[in-house]
Amino acid sequence: MRVVVTGMGIISPIGTGADQFWNAAIQGVSGISNIQCFDASGQHSRIAGQINGFDPSSFLSAKQIDQTDRFTQLALCAANLALEDAGGLEGYAPRRLAVSLGSGMGGFSTFESSAARKLQNKSMPPFTVPRIMANSAAAWIATKHGLKGANLTCSTACSSGANAIGMGLDLLRTGKADAVIAGGAEACVLPLTMSGFEALHALSTGFNDDPARASRPFAKGRDGFVIGEGVGILILEKEEAAQRRGAKIYARLAGYGCACDAAHIVAPDMEGQVAAMQTAIEDAGMTPAQVDYINAHATSTPLGDVVETRAIKQLFGERAQEIAISATKSMIGHSIGASAAIGSIATIMTLHSGTIHPTINLVEADPECDLNYTPNHAIQKKVQTGICNAFGFGGNNASIVFTII
Amino acid sequence: MNTTELEAKVIEFIASKVENVDVSQITTASHFEALGLDSLDTVQLLFDAEEIFGVSFDGEEVKSLRSVGDIVAYISKHPPAV
Repeated sequence: MRVVVTGMGIISPIGTGADQFWNAAIQGVSGISNIQCFDASGQHSRIAGQINGFDPSSFLSAKQIDQTDRFTQLALCAANLALEDAGGLEGYAPRRLAVSLGSGMGGFSTFESSAARKLQNKSMPPFTVPRIMANSAAAWIATKHGLKGANLTCSTACSSGANAIGMGLDLLRTGKADAVIAGGAEACVLPLTMSGFEALHALSTGFNDDPARASRPFAKGRDGFVIGEGVGILILEKEEAAQRRGAKIYARLAGYGCACDAAHIVAPDMEGQVAAMQTAIEDAGMTPAQVDYINAHATSTPLGDVVETRAIKQLFGERAQEIAISATKSMIGHSIGASAAIGSIATIMTLHSGTIHPTINLVEADPECDLNYTPNHAIQKKVQTGICNAFGFGGNNASIVFTII
Repeated sequence: MNTTELEAKVIEFIASKVENVDVSQITTASHFEALGLDSLDTVQLLFDAEEIFGVSFDGEEVKSLRSVGDIVAYISKHPPAV
């Protein structure tokens, strides 16, 4: 039984909707800028991949806006786009329609503002908890569209979106759902969140005067990741049913693998990454020799990019040099729980368009990063099998395999 | 507090932060890595030290603190605000 992608919805720092996002991506547009959404003058990292001009009042009532955090509003908007792209799912019984969403931080904007209110002994708005809870976005999507099947939320840091998509694949394969709205959403460009990542020395702090150059996966001089926000949503269906209803089919979701480093709570380990990729490829019924594109996790941290390079070399051997790799985060920053959902859309568009988007800011590569990362300019290349990697804190490694149909 | 007292206090503090190392084995020459502390453990250590010693560990200098003696020297150079 094959599972396919029949719709996509995305909101990112470089575009809303798959076409706008992809056009910007292949042109190597940077979506990183100085933080405008709060006073970041006291932060060490003062840049982010922000979504400008997002107006929830264009699709939500004032009451609905009161009841939702930004991450839920973004997710709802992207789900609307994805369902529209898929032509709707009216032919399915509501109890057979599921949602599987990933988010690392959930409604953290509401958490931060609520904590501030509590410390000032102010009252709490009644929807404080429903806004903060990580399953809020999945619940709202289901409520808006009458999706009465399984409603799952996955929170595994930077791999949340990948695991959520994998869980969606499993729901279909085990017969628990006939269609799944799957993806990830994150809105964590926030003072406490950023200070937290800064305290871990994870964020880039050396490019505040030149934001567009800050996110530089695999490059010399990279100094940490750039925080970002965004959402990616896929509509997943069984291939036969999708064909029967005449759905547009973008790609096949062929495999999913997840493996825990069980080594360190934040530092990455090569073996776990190898295992995730290998498991995903095997799950797809394929071999490493068939992979010709990797949408890397590649966050622009000094350590992470090297470990991922080593993992790719370990798994693919000599062939690693022939695989085209690109790092979407070079343009949009790291949107944590949304990152793999956005990376999946980039992978699908790569398969669909025969164009590989660049890894920007790759003027001089780190000598330890010596694979083919599609530096600075998009290339035309027909690829048939792409892997999207997501390696999260907690040693949580997930990989997803997409193929052309 | 004089230097000897400060050294003793810092050694006692470090001993409370490491595992499987007796306080008698720690000297000002002890490097954090040798005591089993990785880079993030060191960041956490300095965060806790701020509370105990009333000193702010901030700035470029902090990145080169690698040993017990480095901490003693830093605190001596940046006495707590009165």
